[in-house]
Amino acid sequence: MRGKDVQLAQASITYPNGFTAVHPTNLTVEAGEFFSILGPSGCGKTTILKAVSGFVDLSQGQILIGGQDQKGVRPDNRETALIFQNLALFPLMDVWENVAFGLEARGVRRAARRDRAMELLDLVALQEQAFKKPLELSGGQRQRVAIARALAVEPAVLLLDEPLSALDLKLRQHMRAELRSIQKRTGVTFIYITHDQGEALTMSDRIAVMNAGRIEQVGSGDQIYSKPQTAFAASFVGEANQFHGQIINIDGDFAQIDTPVGHFTARIGGAVKQGDRAILFVRPETMKIEAGPNQMNGRLVRRDLEGPFMNLYFDVQSTEVAVHKTNTGHDLISDSGTLSFELTDGIILPDGPVAQTGREIVAQ
Amino acid sequence: MKRLLDTYGRLLTAGFALFVALWALGLIILPQVSMLERALTAPKRQLDSSIAGTLGRDANLCVSILRAYDNEPITNGTNGGLAIPSISGISSPSASSMTVPSMGGMAVPSIGTQGGISNASKRPYILQCDRADTHQRIVRSTTEVYLDELYNLPILRVDETQSVAKQIEVAQAISELAFALETELKMQEAQAFSYTLDNFGALFAARYIPMLPEAKRIDDAKVIKKIYTRLGLRFENGGEIYERIGAITLFRTLCYAMATTLLALLVCYPVAYKVALATKPERAVWMMLALIIPYAIVELMRVYAWTTIIDNRGLLNSMLDFAGFIDMQAGESIQFKRSALTVFIVIVYTYVLFMVFPILNVMSTLDRNQIDAAKDLGASTFRIQWRIVIPHSKPGIAVGSIATFMLAAGAFSVPRIISRGLQSEWFSQSIYNKFFESENSNVGAAYSFGFTLICFVIVALFMWIMRTRLKDFAKVQS
Repeated sequence: MRGKDVQLAQASITYPNGFTAVHPTNLTVEAGEFFSILGPSGCGKTTILKAVSGFVDLSQGQILIGGQDQKGVRPDNRETALIFQNLALFPLMDVWENVAFGLEARGVRRAARRDRAMELLDLVALQEQAFKKPLELSGGQRQRVAIARALAVEPAVLLLDEPLSALDLKLRQHMRAELRSIQKRTGVTFIYITHDQGEALTMSDRIAVMNAGRIEQVGSGDQIYSKPQTAFAASFVGEANQFHGQIINIDGDFAQIDTPVGHFTARIGGAVKQGDRAILFVRPETMKIEAGPNQMNGRLVRRDLEGPFMNLYFDVQSTEVAVHKTNTGHDLISDSGTLSFELTDGIILPDGPVAQTGREIVAQ
Repeated sequence: MKRLLDTYGRLLTAGFALFVALWALGLIILPQVSMLERALTAPKRQLDSSIAGTLGRDANLCVSILRAYDNEPITNGTNGGLAIPSISGISSPSASSMTVPSMGGMAVPSIGTQGGISNASKRPYILQCDRADTHQRIVRSTTEVYLDELYNLPILRVDETQSVAKQIEVAQAISELAFALETELKMQEAQAFSYTLDNFGALFAARYIPMLPEAKRIDDAKVIKKIYTRLGLRFENGGEIYERIGAITLFRTLCYAMATTLLALLVCYPVAYKVALATKPERAVWMMLALIIPYAIVELMRVYAWTTIIDNRGLLNSMLDFAGFIDMQAGESIQFKRSALTVFIVIVYTYVLFMVFPILNVMSTLDRNQIDAAKDLGASTFRIQWRIVIPHSKPGIAVGSIATFMLAAGAFSVPRIISRGLQSEWFSQSIYNKFFESENSNVGAAYSFGFTLICFVIVALFMWIMRTRLKDFAKVQS
């Protein structure tokens, strides 16, 4: 099996009721890549997937798979296979018949397609379950049946629509590794839709962060996490303390920002100029409880012990500031303290929509 | 049961149990048991005791009338009471040569008795006196049996030519003999095992079909008649054709019901699919309304409405005339009412919801993603239906088919109203006729019970073939 690249060229989707699910988008997914589209629900990521698989027509633009324009190509003729969020296995067929269904549709003889199904089930380590019904399997096994079924038609591109969301945490973590290894073994291009940043970060070669029908940033997990380019990307991927303010001075790669909590200096992450409204993001794990270059005074309001580390929440002039600290067992934390962060640990981005998190709602 | 008790308490649970018991007893068990008993009981008037009793009463009445006549003789004309003007008295000689076999139990005016113009009777004809004859035929299915021979009675009959006093004497003797025999037979019958399967046998009774050689040749060539011959429902005996009419009607009705069910399935499956899976919910509401609204009209009205459509000068023929296929002015028309297909269509129309709803209910539980997944894997529309939608909807299809089959098999108003007697009757009509026209309710009960049994067997077979279990019925309707 050989993966193919997928290109979206100015592709946009507007529904008949006038709602634009996907604004004109350019995106290239390399052949054989594990590519994730990460975004909150309703951001249009599933719509993009449906468009690539052919269930939704583009309003404008093009989708190319392996350089071929897919306009007018129906789902059954595309080199894509879709794995549905609820898997959509056929409950009345045996596991092997599920896997062989795509071959059945292509008119492969029963014996031949059974052999092929067995090979694929071997690939996902499910050969012994071949003659059971899907409902007799566990969640993770069903997951793998769905993958085997999709791989049976030898797609160039495998599209996965939040396939792990129905599994419990342990299984989900196991399946991440499983998916990644299947992708490596088959070399098929995976486009993986998720709202779970953990999934996206652990599995993907590259990630696209999406919000409100637009792709905010494309890059590797490291780039997305450490060098977010938009306020949304910074707030959606990982946790971040946010300080809204105005740029008062720019000095090379650094800028000074005036916030209600004080003046801070930090790295510039996006195009800003003096006088602009901007947001300063600082990851909780980079915050220190000591004096430093960017410092502020706060009062400890909550301490959540997670085990290996703890989350501390400080009230800094009515703004909640989170600090993650490794649990060494010796730290004595007083009720009030001085917080600080390094210049390189803060990032200043142009003002824009930020992701809604539970914490923010509590703070408001 | 324990859960019921825990949830509803003792009083309500007892109420439920009572209601269920009453329901089962009153709606299912009692009617069928009483129907079965009636089916197994010989028709009353066929019992020998009742023939003897009738003879006794006839003789008694004869005595009374003769006595009244003796006191006040009237030579001619009507006599008050039950006497019937004598036909034999004024009958022409030619009539007296005719012989009419006297049927047991049935009064036939004596035309062929010895009366003649020359031998002027001394009294008018009296029906009861004519029937007061110990040489009574007893109805048996095949052989001819007579009361006097069977029970060793002397042959006695009231002879018109004798004196009235003598006649009274004879009639009295007959009456005494008959009543004595009736009492004796009644006791015997009460002790005897009174149930018989003869009524069910009536279903397979062969009838002689009189036919000219020409007609017979045409009839023999018909495929359906060949099938009947193959099934043993039609046979030739001594060059004459016999058909087992009851069984033929039953067989044909079952075939018709199956054809109707199939037609309903063909019509309803796409409708159910359209409403359940291929339409957005807000628009499906309108389609459902369109399906349901006709049911707000009384069934008979809807069926009668069809007669105006299929009439010889009805809507359909007018449209065909308008389109130029037929010329109604020249008296041409297509006689839809003679076609069994018309009956099928109207039955499908009448019971369409019974097929649509079970299929619809099951189908709407199908995850549409399965259809998309199959499509994505390259399956054709036909394969998606065959491998995904139909297997999923199978319980609904089975339940809908069973409901429609039972309704079609028992359809009475539609074949009656639509065919207007121009088609062979359906079995339900046969049952009706047995009950209300030939007034042989015992045979009617046997027909009805036998029909129910056969339909049960067919349904059970069908469920076995479709691998449907009884609990699927509950699933479908919820």
